Amino acid sequence: MPDELAIWAYCVARAGDPLPERLPGVAAEQPVGTIEHGGLAALVSRVPLAEFGEQPLRRNLNEFEWLERVARRHETVLEHALEQATIVPLRLCTIFGDEQGARRMLEQQRESLSAALDALAGHTEWAVKLLVDPAGLEAAAGEPEAAGEPAPGGSGAAYMLRRRDERRARDAADRLAAELADDVHAQLRDWASAAVLNPPQNRELSGHEGDMLLNGAYLVETAKVAQLHELVAELQERHRRLGARLELSGPLPPYNFVPRPA
Amino acid sequence: MEGSHLPSRPTGGLPGRDSQANLADILERVLDKGIVIAGDIQINLLDIELLTIKLRLLVASVERAREMGINWWEGDPSLQAAGNGGGELERENRELRERLERLEQRLGLEQGEESSRAR
Repeated sequence: MPDELAIWAYCVARAGDPLPERLPGVAAEQPVGTIEHGGLAALVSRVPLAEFGEQPLRRNLNEFEWLERVARRHETVLEHALEQATIVPLRLCTIFGDEQGARRMLEQQRESLSAALDALAGHTEWAVKLLVDPAGLEAAAGEPEAAGEPAPGGSGAAYMLRRRDERRARDAADRLAAELADDVHAQLRDWASAAVLNPPQNRELSGHEGDMLLNGAYLVETAKVAQLHELVAELQERHRRLGARLELSGPLPPYNFVPRPA
Repeated sequence: MEGSHLPSRPTGGLPGRDSQANLADILERVLDKGIVIAGDIQINLLDIELLTIKLRLLVASVERAREMGINWWEGDPSLQAAGNGGGELERENRELRERLERLEQRLGLEQGEESSRAR
């Protein structure tokens, strides 16, 4: 086979903006480089078709270790690029047969890529997660009713009442959780340039403790990042009584704020 | 779920650092966000693979939140993304949904008594 390598694309930036060089790519021994066309630059690296061709890819995507390795390398390249330029991140597995294919993409998508770069310039993406200890939340929600009168009647009735109280405490905790998540998100959304809510994460992947009540992404003006740290600290303080923890991370590749397909 | 199979550390031994971000964060973003550009690889087929992985990763975490009445992501078009294509895509999407339901049911059984509090 004469043509064993394809082109994996990471992100697009303005041609001439600094982008990482010689950084390891998703495939072994194939560092990143750029392909420029029409005022845009794609950050790319070569990938062997034996591993990244259509059929091997379908198999490999279902191998969790392979997926993790490739996703982490893709992300690492984006994180480096982010330090130097405004980028539009591309989804995992954006692959072209050759350099000409990548140039064709830059040509065909020039308007939407250019518009996305304009919209993202001067901004960074940040993630905020709200975590609570469910027992702590139940205790906080149940406080007023916890000291109710002792149950009258026999042990059967006492059991039923106890079950009822437990159910009420859980319901109250769930309501409190929803209010808490709403409040934190509303404050951040109103302050940020844009906001996106994502589903709570799988604990096995994220390793978080407690319940994840909020998993939000916020687009923030670079000049206002210090304020974001203050706002998150303030929200954490406001909800400390409920055992709420806010985790702020960033700057991240602005995955949540590029246009979706129509 | 098959959590015990999930490696918690990067497995690549290449020089240069891999991202140390939480894996859930990375997968959440790289699998279905970002501008979608049709590469030369058959992207429609890959969409299905990516969606399958995503559903598998998502199910466990979503159940508990739903119990609490938190479901903001359910209007998220990206989670119904596979329904936009032609008949083939729709069929595969339907199959995926059925698979998801089966997974959810199995999860419900495993939760045993806990499930009695679901609404």
